[in-house]
Amino acid sequence: MAEAALPARIGLAVRPHPIRRFLRRYPLGAAGASLIVLMLLLGIFSARLAPYDPVAADFGAQFRAPGGAHWFGTDAYGRDVLSHLLYGARTALVIGFSSSILGATIGAIVGVISAYFAGTTDLLLQRLVDILISFPIIILAMAIVAILGSGTVNLILAIALSFIPRAERVVRSSALAVRETVYVDAARAIGAGHWRIIFRHMVPNVVAPYLVMLTAFLGQAILLEASLSFLGLGVSEPTPAWGLMLRGAAVDFVQRAPWMAIFPGVAISLAVLAFNVFGDALRDALDPRLRT
Amino acid sequence: MTRYIATRFLLMIPTLLTVAVLIFLLVRVVPGDIVELRLVSGGSYVTREVVEAERARLGLNKPLGAQFVDWMTGLVRLDFGTSMWSGAPVSQEIGLRLQLSLELALLATVIATVLAIPLGTLAAVRRGTWVDQAVQVFSVAGLAVPSFWLGILMILLLLGTFHWLPPLTFTPLWVNPVANLSQLIWPALAVGYRYSAVASRMTRSAVLEVLREDYVRTAWSKGLAERVILRKHALRNALLPVTTVIGLEFAFLIGGLVVTEQVFNLNGVGKLIVDAISHRDYTLIQGLMMLVAAGYILANFVVDLIYGWLDPRISYG
Repeated sequence: MAEAALPARIGLAVRPHPIRRFLRRYPLGAAGASLIVLMLLLGIFSARLAPYDPVAADFGAQFRAPGGAHWFGTDAYGRDVLSHLLYGARTALVIGFSSSILGATIGAIVGVISAYFAGTTDLLLQRLVDILISFPIIILAMAIVAILGSGTVNLILAIALSFIPRAERVVRSSALAVRETVYVDAARAIGAGHWRIIFRHMVPNVVAPYLVMLTAFLGQAILLEASLSFLGLGVSEPTPAWGLMLRGAAVDFVQRAPWMAIFPGVAISLAVLAFNVFGDALRDALDPRLRT
Repeated sequence: MTRYIATRFLLMIPTLLTVAVLIFLLVRVVPGDIVELRLVSGGSYVTREVVEAERARLGLNKPLGAQFVDWMTGLVRLDFGTSMWSGAPVSQEIGLRLQLSLELALLATVIATVLAIPLGTLAAVRRGTWVDQAVQVFSVAGLAVPSFWLGILMILLLLGTFHWLPPLTFTPLWVNPVANLSQLIWPALAVGYRYSAVASRMTRSAVLEVLREDYVRTAWSKGLAERVILRKHALRNALLPVTTVIGLEFAFLIGGLVVTEQVFNLNGVGKLIVDAISHRDYTLIQGLMMLVAAGYILANFVVDLIYGWLDPRISYG
């Protein structure tokens, strides 16, 4: 009994759970978060949910309009659009998450290192970042695809690599402030080595800008994957991907079978929108100074 | 002022030089060169001699340093080399398409500016109302909707209502302005939407910041009309960050053009980049990357100059 009364007495009970508070204060962000969860579920269970094999061609059922057996219609090969979309969610999420996490993490570590060592290291790294940032992300990713070759793994690498300079820039500026704090001085005073200070004391303190960067990247990565696949430089055919669905036949037969072009575009837009509004809310909640 | 411009201009050279070194090395770090990729990976059998001859023809058998010097001495004379795919000079390949893409980019900028500044200002002034919310939805959607999909939807709509298909050939502005504009306005809208979303967000937050200033409150208490306060006090001061965004996004427009030109069947620089990358045409990629970087650096430079003109407090002594 006494234990149960304790939180109320010190006033903890009046303060709602941080997640609940986030949901109440940022309804739009919460909507984005639920859409993300829904997408994750659809992606994970796509094999069970999809009514058809997404890549099996059925030439007896080409260009079927939405309704009946095919809710979202069929494409030029008679493939079910809904099943293709569900499997495409998996591709988009796998590529989105792995490239964003990879890019943001490497960028953050390089940013902290750059801020910590300062001097020549910082100067050289910053000049390099200056140059990489002067290319639009999609151009940079395309150039890397040109060098590495296409394929899912290379696509993830290309997207991640083009995020690194941007993550580096943001995290470095936060790390510069952390570097001047008393606890970093204290760590140095007790004789901690460079790497211990970097990974134990500085990295944990730049988690807020890191998370903000990461969520911002997720939406961008999905858009980027779709654009590159649309251009034929990303995921390649039998792999179901939203960007690929909009390539070729979807444009050629847009009047005859508009559903082929409409649904994948809606899926991409909703996915990017969900990550963007969630990211904005997260930014406001974690670190309002990062507001742009 | 002249001195500042001159120094600033000269400073672009070392930056571009670094870009050149970086691009040159990047293209060559991967194992297997262009010749192998093009001749061998095609599946056909080629003799060693043919590969070597092709390497010699493209100058790839020289040491790395010599190759770089070759490329650099060419660049200084504005000779970007010849395309490895078509055999035509890179500058000619780019020059042919630059006019179209530049016009498209300018049109998109005009559309974005004309939309973003009034919308952003309106949202800031009517903060918290449905107007503000509507503008926010407009800009949040602009960041999420892929411009190539927007292009496809436009074609669908235009096909349905006007039976209009993107023409196969490009009509230059001076040949037939009407045909030219009716061809380019749609891709410009598709690219400009995203652009205006970014700019209207910036305008909104910049105007909000200025509206909190003391001199705006003074202007209100003097009894000035809202229109005057907005135009003379708020907007003028908010324009600086907005200019930055518009200027820098202009340099990044090429990213949007890459996908939109594909949808609308426009043979511009964006499409050239896609083709160069699909063909692994390394000399052309190098030239195009230099162009993109130069565009960004130049846009930065122009933004800097516009600052001095917009804000008399900034002087380039």
